Amino acid sequence: MKEEHVKYLEEIAGQDKVLTDIEDKICFGFDSTRLQYLPDVIVKVKDSRQISSILKFANEYKIPVTPRGAATGLSGGCLAVNGGILLVLLEMNRIYYVNPIDLLVEVQAGAITVDVDKAASKYKLFYPPDPGSMKTSTIGGNIAENAGGLRGLKYGVTKDYVNSMEVVLPTGEIIDIGTRTVKSVTGYNLVDLMVGSEGTLGVVSKATLALLPIPPARASLLALFNNLTEAAKTVRDIVAEGVITATLELVDNVTINAIEDYLKIGLNRNVGAMLLIEVDGQQGSVDIEAEVIKKVCAQNNALSCKLAASEKERDVLWSARRAALSSLARIKPSTILEDATVPRSRIVELVEAVNNIAKKYDIMIGTFGHAGDGNLHPTILTDLRDKEEEKKVEKVIEEIFIETVKLDGTLSGEHGIGLTKARFLKLEISDEVYKLMKKIKHALDPNNILNPGKLFVD
Amino acid sequence: MPKTKISEKDDELFSCSRCGACLAVCPVYKQTLDEGVAPRGKLSLIEAAANNKIAISEKLSQKIYTCTLCNYCTKECPSGVKVDELFKAVRGDLVESKKYPEVLDYLKSKIEKAYNITFDTNQGRLDWITQQPDAKFEDYLKETADVLYFVGCVSSFSPRSFPIPRSITQIFKRAGVDFTLLGEDEWCCGFPLYSSGMKDEIVRLADHNIRKVKDKKVKLLVASCPSCYHTWKHDYPKVANEKIDFEIMHISQYLHALIKEGKIKLNAINARVTYHDPCDLGRNSGIFEEPREVIKSIEGIDFVELPSAKLEANCCGGGGNLEYLDPGLSSKIAEAKASEIIGTGAEIVVSSCQQCERTISTALKKKKGEIDYRLKVMDISELILQSML
Repeated sequence: MKEEHVKYLEEIAGQDKVLTDIEDKICFGFDSTRLQYLPDVIVKVKDSRQISSILKFANEYKIPVTPRGAATGLSGGCLAVNGGILLVLLEMNRIYYVNPIDLLVEVQAGAITVDVDKAASKYKLFYPPDPGSMKTSTIGGNIAENAGGLRGLKYGVTKDYVNSMEVVLPTGEIIDIGTRTVKSVTGYNLVDLMVGSEGTLGVVSKATLALLPIPPARASLLALFNNLTEAAKTVRDIVAEGVITATLELVDNVTINAIEDYLKIGLNRNVGAMLLIEVDGQQGSVDIEAEVIKKVCAQNNALSCKLAASEKERDVLWSARRAALSSLARIKPSTILEDATVPRSRIVELVEAVNNIAKKYDIMIGTFGHAGDGNLHPTILTDLRDKEEEKKVEKVIEEIFIETVKLDGTLSGEHGIGLTKARFLKLEISDEVYKLMKKIKHALDPNNILNPGKLFVD
Repeated sequence: MPKTKISEKDDELFSCSRCGACLAVCPVYKQTLDEGVAPRGKLSLIEAAANNKIAISEKLSQKIYTCTLCNYCTKECPSGVKVDELFKAVRGDLVESKKYPEVLDYLKSKIEKAYNITFDTNQGRLDWITQQPDAKFEDYLKETADVLYFVGCVSSFSPRSFPIPRSITQIFKRAGVDFTLLGEDEWCCGFPLYSSGMKDEIVRLADHNIRKVKDKKVKLLVASCPSCYHTWKHDYPKVANEKIDFEIMHISQYLHALIKEGKIKLNAINARVTYHDPCDLGRNSGIFEEPREVIKSIEGIDFVELPSAKLEANCCGGGGNLEYLDPGLSSKIAEAKASEIIGTGAEIVVSSCQQCERTISTALKKKKGEIDYRLKVMDISELILQSML
C-alpha cells in the first residue's frame, strides 16, 4: 500500500483510526478459524459515509476491502486474504431505539448481538438469533454470515429477523433496502440477497431487526438414550407429533464424557446420547408439550426423561449444553467445528456417517448440535501442528461434506462458506447456479474489490 | 523470543482457538475495542514473537502491559487457556529483554530504596497511628502476639486509605484480639514488581517479611490488601527461601471468623448494600462468601448483588499497574463499574480492597450527576466498625 493511500484513508477516517503497524495487523489478521492473513492497512470506520468514501477510493485503485466485525467467524469471512484494507466496523455500535409497538430495533452494524437482546429485554422483548458467539459477535457479522443458533427450529435464523438495512454497495453507493413493515412485495427481495452474502455484495452499516415478545413460560427436559439412533428418532417423532420446540439439542457420548470431565455435574458417562429440550409459550401449552415429549421419549426407549423442576435445575442442564464446545476444546489443542446440516429426517444417517468417518480415519469427533433443525456440529479434535494430522483432517472434512450433500444436506447451516469451504461449494451447487452467483457478484462489484477470495475459488 | 520462557508454553499458546469469548469480558477491550489489547490479540502477538515472526517491540510491550490482570479472561476461556500465567511469563520475558514501561524502573527503585511504593522512608508506615485518638505505639508494636496485621503500602502511606487500618485495629481492640504490626520492618510484599515481570526482587522482600513475622511468633497473619494477601498466600510459598509457619487470612475471612465466634457485636444498619469483588480476592484467590456473610450478618442491611458478581465480577480498573501506565483507560473502566453500581440502587458499595475503594470512589464522583442521593463507598472493615459503634 502506498503511503499516499494511507494518508488519504487517514483523511477519511482520522489519523488514530488508521493502523499500519505489524502488531496491529497481526491482532486484526485472524478470526476463529485461527487462520492468519495480514491486511495492508486497518481502518476503523464510524459511519456509512466513511465506508462509501473508502470503497470509491478502493475501486479507483483496485484495492481489496474486507469488512470485519468482531472476527468470531468460523469460515474465514473477515480475513484479508488478498491484503488491502481491513474495514473494522466495531466502533459503529450504536443501538438507536427499540420500537415496542412495531417490535423493531434499529442498530448500527457493529452493535454486539447480546447487547441488542439486552436492549430489547427492557421491553419484555427478545432478539431470537443466538449464535454461540453472541456475547462478542456483531449484528453486521451475523447478517453477513446469516448466523443461526440454538433456537433455529422454532425461531429461525438471522435472515428471519432483518427487516431493513442500510448497505454500502461495493462501488460506494449508500442504499436503504427492505421496510419496517411485516409484509412487503416491492421489487426484488434485496434484504435476503444481502443476508448471508458474507460481505461480498455490500457492507451492511445499519439494520432494523425484528423482535418477539419473551414467552411467559418455558420447560426444559433432559432425556438419556442408549444410542444416538434412538435419540435422533426421538427428534423426528417430537416434531411429527406437532411439537415445535424452542431448542432440541443432541449431545453424543464423546461430548457427554468431555462435559462430565470438565464440569463434574454427575452426567451418566455410559449413555449413548442425550437430548436437551426446551419448549416455551403460554403455561398451558408448555405443560401439554412437555407431556407429549415425555411420551415420545418413552416410546423411543429413553433411559430417562426428566423435567427440570426449578430454574436452578434448568440452569445446570443448559450449562452442560453451553459447555459442550468448551469441554471438547480442552481435550486436544485444535478444535475444528463443522456445521453440516441435513433435513431432519436424515439426522440418523448423518450421525452414523460421521461416526464411520471417525472410525475410518481413527480420529476423535464429538458431535452435538441443533438436531431439531438438522444442524449438527461434528467437532474434530486434533493437533494441527502435526502435518500428518492436518492432512487427515482435510480428508475427514471432505468426506463429511460429501456425505452431507448425499443426504440432501448443505455444507453450512450457519457458519458460511467463506474461505474454508470455498473449495467444496460445487459439491452442493450446480455449475449454472455457481455462474449465476458470480454474475450477481460481478454486477454489484465489477472490480471485485469487496471481500475477494471468499465463496468462489476462481 | 530470546531465552524464551514463553516458548516452553507452546501448547498453552496453541490452545487459544481465537474464539473471542474473552472479548466479551475483558475490561480493556470493552473500553477500547482494540483487538491488540484483548487477550486473544495479545496471545496472537506472543505466539508471533515466540515463533520469531515479529520482534519484541515497544509497541508489543505496551499492548501486553495494557491489562488490569483481572483474569476474567482465564475464567471465561472455553479452551481452558491459563491466560494469566502466559501474561506473567511474557512480562518476565519483556523485563529480561529490557522492553518494559519505564514507570516500573521508578517503582523498583522506590521499593529498593525505601521498601515501599512511595518515596517516604519506611518510618512513615506508622503515620496513620499517630492520628489515632489513643495512639500508643506500644499497643501496636508488641514483641509478640496472636495475630499480625500486615497493613500493606497503600493503606500505610496513602492518607485516604488510613480509615482501613484504623478501622481494623479499632475492631481488633474492641474484639480483644491480641495483635501486632511489623511497623517499619514491614516491607512491600513485592506484588507490584512480581506481577509486572520483575521476578527476582520478590525473593528478598519475601524472605525479609517472613523472617520478621516469624520473630513475632504469631499464629496468624491478616492482610487487608487483596494483592498482599494473594502474594503471601499463593506466591511466597513458591518463591521464598524462608518457610511460612503461620496461617494467612484476608481481613474479610478473619472478620467472618470473629463474628462467628461471637467476638464482635454488631448493631443494625438500615441500608441497601452491594459488594464489589476485588479481582485479587475473588477470582484470583477464590474468596467470595466470607465478605458477603460478613455484610449480611449486620441486621437491617438489604443486600443486593451487582449484575456481574463473584467469578464474573467486572474489574474496577485499578489493577495490574494500569493506573500508572494508562490512567485514562483505567478511569474509563472504573466509570463502567460505577454505572453498574449505580444501577443496583445501593446506598453503600462495600469492597475489601483499598485500591478498588479508591478507583470506585473517584469514578462515582465523576458520575455525581446521575444519582440524587449519597452513594457511599466503604471498605468492609469500615462497615463493620460503624456497625460496632
